Amino acid sequence: MYALNYVKAKSVQEAAEFLAANPEAKLLAGGMTLLPTLKQRLARPTHLVDIAGLPELRRIEAKGGRLVVGAGMKHHEVATSAVVKKAIPALAGLAGEIGDPQVRNQGTIGGSVANNDPAADYPAAVLGLGATVVTTKREIAADDYFQGLFTTALGEGEIVVRVEFPLPKKAAYCKFHHPASGYAVAGVFIAQTAGGVRVAVTGAGPGVFRWSAAEAALAKGLKPAALESAKLDASGLNSDIHADREYRANLVRVMAKRALAKLSGKK
Amino acid sequence: MADTHAPHHHGNRVEDRRLVTGTGKYAADWSLPGQLYACFVRSDRAHAEIVSVNAEQARKYPGVKRVYTGEDALAAGYTKYFVIVSYPGRGGKHIIKPPRPVLAARKVRHVGDALAMVVADTAVAAQDAAELVEVEYRDLPAVVSAEQALAPGAPQLHEEAPGNLAFDFESGNEEAAGAAIAQAAHVTRLKLEVSRVAPSPMELRGCTVRYDAADGTYHVHVCIQGINMMRKQLAAITDVPEDRIVVHAQDIGGSFGQRSAAYPEYVAQMMAAKELGRPIRWISTRAEGFASDTHGRANTVTGELALDRGGKLLGLRLDWISDMGGYLSATGSASHTRNPSTCMTGVYRIPALYGRFRLAFTNTVPVAAYRGAGRPDMAYVIERLVSQAAAELKIDPAELRRRNFIPKEAFPYKTPTGSTYEATDLHGVLERALKFADWKSFPARRRRSEKAGKLRGLGIATVIENTGAGLFPKDQVEIEATSAGGIDVYTVSQSQGQGHETSFGMIVAQTLGVPLERVRIRQGVKPLIGNHTGGSRSTAGAGSACKLAALKLIQQGKSLAAERLEVEPSQVEYAGGVFHTRGSKRKVTLGELAGKKPINVMAEGTFGPTFPNGCHITEVEIDPATGVTRIVAYNAVDDCGNVINHTIVEGQVHGAVTQGAGQIFGEQVVYDRETGQLLTGSFMDYCMPRAGLVPHVRMQDYPVPSVSNALGVKGVGESGCTASIPSLANAVMDALRPLGVPPVDMPFTPARVWHAISSAKQKSQ
Repeated sequence: MYALNYVKAKSVQEAAEFLAANPEAKLLAGGMTLLPTLKQRLARPTHLVDIAGLPELRRIEAKGGRLVVGAGMKHHEVATSAVVKKAIPALAGLAGEIGDPQVRNQGTIGGSVANNDPAADYPAAVLGLGATVVTTKREIAADDYFQGLFTTALGEGEIVVRVEFPLPKKAAYCKFHHPASGYAVAGVFIAQTAGGVRVAVTGAGPGVFRWSAAEAALAKGLKPAALESAKLDASGLNSDIHADREYRANLVRVMAKRALAKLSGKK
Repeated sequence: MADTHAPHHHGNRVEDRRLVTGTGKYAADWSLPGQLYACFVRSDRAHAEIVSVNAEQARKYPGVKRVYTGEDALAAGYTKYFVIVSYPGRGGKHIIKPPRPVLAARKVRHVGDALAMVVADTAVAAQDAAELVEVEYRDLPAVVSAEQALAPGAPQLHEEAPGNLAFDFESGNEEAAGAAIAQAAHVTRLKLEVSRVAPSPMELRGCTVRYDAADGTYHVHVCIQGINMMRKQLAAITDVPEDRIVVHAQDIGGSFGQRSAAYPEYVAQMMAAKELGRPIRWISTRAEGFASDTHGRANTVTGELALDRGGKLLGLRLDWISDMGGYLSATGSASHTRNPSTCMTGVYRIPALYGRFRLAFTNTVPVAAYRGAGRPDMAYVIERLVSQAAAELKIDPAELRRRNFIPKEAFPYKTPTGSTYEATDLHGVLERALKFADWKSFPARRRRSEKAGKLRGLGIATVIENTGAGLFPKDQVEIEATSAGGIDVYTVSQSQGQGHETSFGMIVAQTLGVPLERVRIRQGVKPLIGNHTGGSRSTAGAGSACKLAALKLIQQGKSLAAERLEVEPSQVEYAGGVFHTRGSKRKVTLGELAGKKPINVMAEGTFGPTFPNGCHITEVEIDPATGVTRIVAYNAVDDCGNVINHTIVEGQVHGAVTQGAGQIFGEQVVYDRETGQLLTGSFMDYCMPRAGLVPHVRMQDYPVPSVSNALGVKGVGESGCTASIPSLANAVMDALRPLGVPPVDMPFTPARVWHAISSAKQKSQ
């Protein structure tokens, strides 16, 4: 790690002002991506602005047909929250499958959504449920928010404050864990929402994406056979030493089928 | 579970409280007054000439004391690396040992090759300054596969080793094996990869060197397998006399062969410690470890097994190509030639054997001994060939083994490659294992898995290995009985997690009839002759010496007691720490005898080799949709001779089975074929096994006492690797074979298994 300055923010407003004044400063929440990056000297921020534990980022509530999760909520808290489990059990389940116990007790939903790792789990839920990312400046629909590999609609100094999930009729997530890192090699989130069936895929491509052919196929009925023939272009998928495109394409289909089986209450 | 083992200690291992409460002392826990910190500049490319190293900015950085480069290593003459192989190879030709400056000079040969060392007041200053060292390279083409390195036109690593061939070794009878294969009714052929793995002990590598100018002695605090082996290597590299090097170590957090070597970094630190007059400390990072700690295995083997129509084995020929990496390690050349050749016949009577073993240089991290050191590799090749032959000839794999075992009456059995196996009961072990694993009812279990959409496979391996090889001719142990009634036992065998304090302590406590709590095992603090811990040798070697020393203490105590009690020594009896006269009530305790001055005895002996053997039967279940394999049954029957402590034996087998399973299902070091970059440089990409990989390992002891040592024990540290690797691979192949899947190489990752299944399905359509 390079020498840097540490600042403990007293409010989100203060953190935002600090970021505006110090363009090379970085926000620190759970630090589960940032800290390893710093330790390997792969980043050199001038300051770390610590927003972990700020009360305004720490809420979970269900109201008006929406589940609101503050950006500072840790994965373990989401996974075990009675409110989340009742409102969107698939979201609690997803949070409980992120990383390992250490990561889940440190990492936050805001950090995950802001970082947009192409193999992270939360982006699949946010996109799959058609959630809204609320920042210090505006509200951004999930469909506009995720823009590929570690890229989001967030502007300079803009901070994720909370994520608002509309309650689906049903939802399910199924993930194939990377054998080394535990990240999603392919993770598929399927939600039956007021606006139709949404299928979001993480891990398999350069960023989370909606599998529109599967959505179209499932619109006619939630049948596994529909997924069998849904078109999936493997050429745009990730390929690495652990999983090539062809295998990833297979996993997307298999995880989708398994998510659908969960959704339909079949194990 | 059958009570087939010796009385065992029911408590926890005596060292565990210290180790699990953070009060152990590892390499990084040595902190010396006035120490400086070293940071190494490492090559970021696989193969390049060093045009220049400009350390001007680094030298000026605040806190920096000195920057060393390859030129300093050349000037010191620290260029000859220690390699244990001295026997000749094919045609009487000797191994080629190219120079290896302790800091790479003129050329780098793998990503991670250390070429400069910055020494500074703080670790951060050293790291900051290391980034300021400017290295100008002239890139050379790289080769990261041993087979490709030996091919004509490959990039050349060392001018001393034309064609990148370090050593060409052979064993057995080429003509006889050739004839057997030419004439046989059936020949099974396989080409197999034993993948390159990163041993990854939990403790990171680290070293602190202090130079004492008053008597010209180097004090080296380092993670090791034994002080003597380390000292011998450091002396060989530096020409510093062995008695001017003192190696210090207490607790070692895993080793697996990787910690046996005197790494170049330590020698560079010696250079600096002497010149700067301050201790030099260096603790590796995990990333550095992946790119500089020796790797293991890395063999490509072509095997041909000849059989007659009845399934009788007639001959075996192996062409073995080993990847040594950019330089020879201390042990790799032995672990990849002599070790596998000594057990090339496996547990079978095979009349004609021949193996050719070629060691190649590649632009990768050097390869060294890794748990089993060539024996698991050999067992893997033989056991896969035998199971493949059984499938081809449609003979039950257990039956094919049974037909070919070395018969009981043939022991001690002299193998065609020069080993002499001590007595074992191969048939007894096999029959016990078949029953234990419920071999016969496997078809019903397979049908059950099929109903759930899973492919189930049954794997078997019957293996043997030679253990007990050492660098030193004998093992000495000293015992000191103190006035407080304590028994201090000194050995140079160094535990890296094996639990010597418990096993050795029990040997001494039981021999003396005193409570285990009175015995203290002290490792590496007295200059005794003896071997490091490695090659599954410690209990047979140092453990035997413990017993002999304890017996000697009783003898010596009897003489002293006789004087004290004013009787003839023959009239003194001993029991439970007390000497008493025959027929009278006069007595004196061991502690009282040691009242004025401690009683010291030293015992020594040459023990081994031992031949642990066993049969591991495993079952796996494969999800054909994802290629994920689960181990669903693990049954092990092991003959590791007499058992001192069953818990420790179980722990050794569990650990080794898990390492074997890790290699079979995920672990693999991968380099980019074009650039030679390390693609598995962290645990995000290098797949270490997790606890969930291996379910309950069911174990039974089947002890046939060894006659080669004072305890009747056989080495058990590595046998779990030797058996699990072939057994699990055979289980996977058994699950896949019915689909028409041809032989697949380890690691059986989900992607690889899925691809194997889908291409077989496509072919059959």
